[in-house]
Amino acid sequence: MNVELVLFGAFALLTLLSAGLVILARSPINSAMALVSTFFFLAGIYVLLWAHTVAVVQVLVYAGAIMVLFLFVIMLLNLGESAHRGKPTLSRILGGASAVGLLGVLGITLSRVPAQPANLGPQAQATFGTMASIGQSIFTQWLLPFEAVSLLLLVAMVGAVVVAKSRI
Amino acid sequence: MTLPNITLADFLPLLPALIMVVGASILLLSEVFLSSSASRGYQAVLTVATAVASGLTALGLMFEPPHAVFLGYGVLDPFSSFLTLVVCVGLALAALASVSFLRKRGAERGEFYALMLFASAGMSLLAMSAEFITLFVNLEVLSVATYALTAYLRRGTRPSEAGFKYFILGAFSSAVLLYGTALLYGATGTTKLADMAGPLSQALATAPALVYTGAILVAAGFAFKVAAVPFHMWTPDVYEGAPTPVTALMSAGVKAAAFAAMVRVFLTVGKGMDPHMPLALFSTLALLTMVVGNLLAIPQRNVKRMLAYSSIAHAGYLLLGVAALFVTAPGEHFRILGASALTGGTPLDVARSDALRGILYYLLAYTFSAVGAFALVSALERREDEDKGTAWDLERFSGLAQRRPGWAFAMTAFMLSLGGIPPTIGFMSKLLIFQSAIDVGLVGLTIVAVLSSAAGVYYYLRVVVYMFMRPVPEGAQTLERSWGTEVALVISTVAVVLLGIIPGRVSEWLAHAGTLFGQ
Amino acid sequence: MITPLAPYLPLAVVLLLAGLMAMAIPQLTTRLGPKRPSAIKSSPFEAGSESSGPARQRFAVKFYVVALLFIVFDVEAVFLYPWAVNFQALGWFGYVEMLVFAATLIVGLIYVWKKGALDWES
Repeated sequence: MNVELVLFGAFALLTLLSAGLVILARSPINSAMALVSTFFFLAGIYVLLWAHTVAVVQVLVYAGAIMVLFLFVIMLLNLGESAHRGKPTLSRILGGASAVGLLGVLGITLSRVPAQPANLGPQAQATFGTMASIGQSIFTQWLLPFEAVSLLLLVAMVGAVVVAKSRI
Repeated sequence: MTLPNITLADFLPLLPALIMVVGASILLLSEVFLSSSASRGYQAVLTVATAVASGLTALGLMFEPPHAVFLGYGVLDPFSSFLTLVVCVGLALAALASVSFLRKRGAERGEFYALMLFASAGMSLLAMSAEFITLFVNLEVLSVATYALTAYLRRGTRPSEAGFKYFILGAFSSAVLLYGTALLYGATGTTKLADMAGPLSQALATAPALVYTGAILVAAGFAFKVAAVPFHMWTPDVYEGAPTPVTALMSAGVKAAAFAAMVRVFLTVGKGMDPHMPLALFSTLALLTMVVGNLLAIPQRNVKRMLAYSSIAHAGYLLLGVAALFVTAPGEHFRILGASALTGGTPLDVARSDALRGILYYLLAYTFSAVGAFALVSALERREDEDKGTAWDLERFSGLAQRRPGWAFAMTAFMLSLGGIPPTIGFMSKLLIFQSAIDVGLVGLTIVAVLSSAAGVYYYLRVVVYMFMRPVPEGAQTLERSWGTEVALVISTVAVVLLGIIPGRVSEWLAHAGTLFGQ
Repeated sequence: MITPLAPYLPLAVVLLLAGLMAMAIPQLTTRLGPKRPSAIKSSPFEAGSESSGPARQRFAVKFYVVALLFIVFDVEAVFLYPWAVNFQALGWFGYVEMLVFAATLIVGLIYVWKKGALDWES
């Protein structure tokens, strides 16, 4: 038993628990708060995978900016506790069945993957997943998708204003 | 750190998209510096000019030798250039139809045209993406722009409902696509399409479930975008609720770009896969999509909704062409839907590149016919009727032949072309796909395609019957003319009729663009 | 043994301390502070005046626009970190790359600004 394994188990369990709370909580605000903790525990798992930058971005963007947006939207819609629940309609049964089916397929798929933990070696471990090495990849090899992201951000900006501004 | 060697030649395939992005930026910036009462007539003209410039650039690029650019993240080949050309045609026609549509609603704004240009730039970039992350980002560029366009007119419940549905289901389908990509990445250790095929055949031996689930999820993600059955549920509501010129752009451009990406992914990566798998997948999708799309379109009295279902049916014929691409040996494939080759005269490789040519030609044909039909639908609709849901009723077409003979003739040409009746471009392209499907041996599936397209003729001709046989209804409103709609109708009618009789240079471009790649 | 957790030890200590403080201080105030309840003290109040309705009210849509624009620029900032770390090594090549990236977003910024999406009053 080493520390990493224990921490991984703890993070995984807590991620699943808080993700479950997101869909089961009655109040949307509680769901949003459970989502924040899901993001945090996921960041912990990223750290255990040596993905330092991804962990930081996860906390910065998801637990920070995106959660703020979620809370604003919940307050914008002034959602109370959901009153109607538990009525099994045909579409709900079908939706639930296909979700369970997808879960089963993905579970079987992933369980059949031969487990070979990658060994980075001490050399790579010093730089793997750091800002510097990620930056090197983004700005040398991945420059086409990187520039495409700027276009995506511009479109998102214009789209948000067009959809939400009361008078265009 | 070694810096990559990026030369100006790497930017060549981006050129059409760059032109559109620059045009969109000019529209955005000029819009905010205008006073609210200033004339906005220049905006459509600028959009059309940008589309033409970008289309001509794509045409010029079509004769460049195919090569990878940006270290293999993108690719320049005649296939992507032809698709960009198709997108530019759809964009120009949709922008022309927008002029009177927006003016009638007092909603002329630069953002509308800018978002159309951004969406088209995304489509062009999607057609040239040769790596999964690049592909995903570009797919999102075009999706986000179309979500915003769908909800552009926020009065009434229909546009918001359509925008919301499209956004939720589109986001879901993107997630499905991304999950499939992640599984394929896990199996191969790369996201570049060209590098995937080799490791994929090894992964097929060690972890077949990973490869199959990944490929199916990727295909499902694309099937949402092209509106294939059983992933079509969003299509009628979204097509009906969106502003009509946006529906035109969606049915032509989004579909073309998604088909391009799907074909590129599976042709390039599929080499490492068991070829029976994409064949079985696309045959099943084609069968369901053709039959269900046509059956659901028959009872529709709402023309805009009928065109939405018809767009599903057309995705089915295109999927038949896609399935034909994956036949490796005649008579040795998915037996339920195929039989051994009847003709036997055409070598398999020729038949398969015919299928690719057929797909491209079909996309061009569908763009002219569908965008033309939507332009006419938007010319007939009135804002006041939208919330009642009667704006697109068949009755609106009653007696159109007496009131506007030119429009009736144009609509007849579009309906014949969509129905696949000679002498139209729709007939020629359908013939090319069906012929190649028979040549590779997908005989059973082709018979289904012919039968279902015969059923389709019923609902297309019904519109023609209403236009020519029914009297003009009492108190019909006057039909306003607008230069934009007229130009769009003339161009698409001429193209639909003329290209059906003499394809001319287009067949030369097609011969060039329809070369099988990734083999 | 090499572990990815090594640099996070100080962070874990801070988190632990912060958590302990957060639990301890409210406990301390309730335990140590004198409690003399009266009817007026235990009635709900807003900033000294009597409460006039539920605290949950509909937010204006402008909050949403601002939050969404915040996300867009937040994502842009995320890309600036790995760029800044490699600034020397990337040289002019990286500079031009980031210039193109930023220029695209500046077009958006000008648009949003002139459109008045950042004005609170309109």
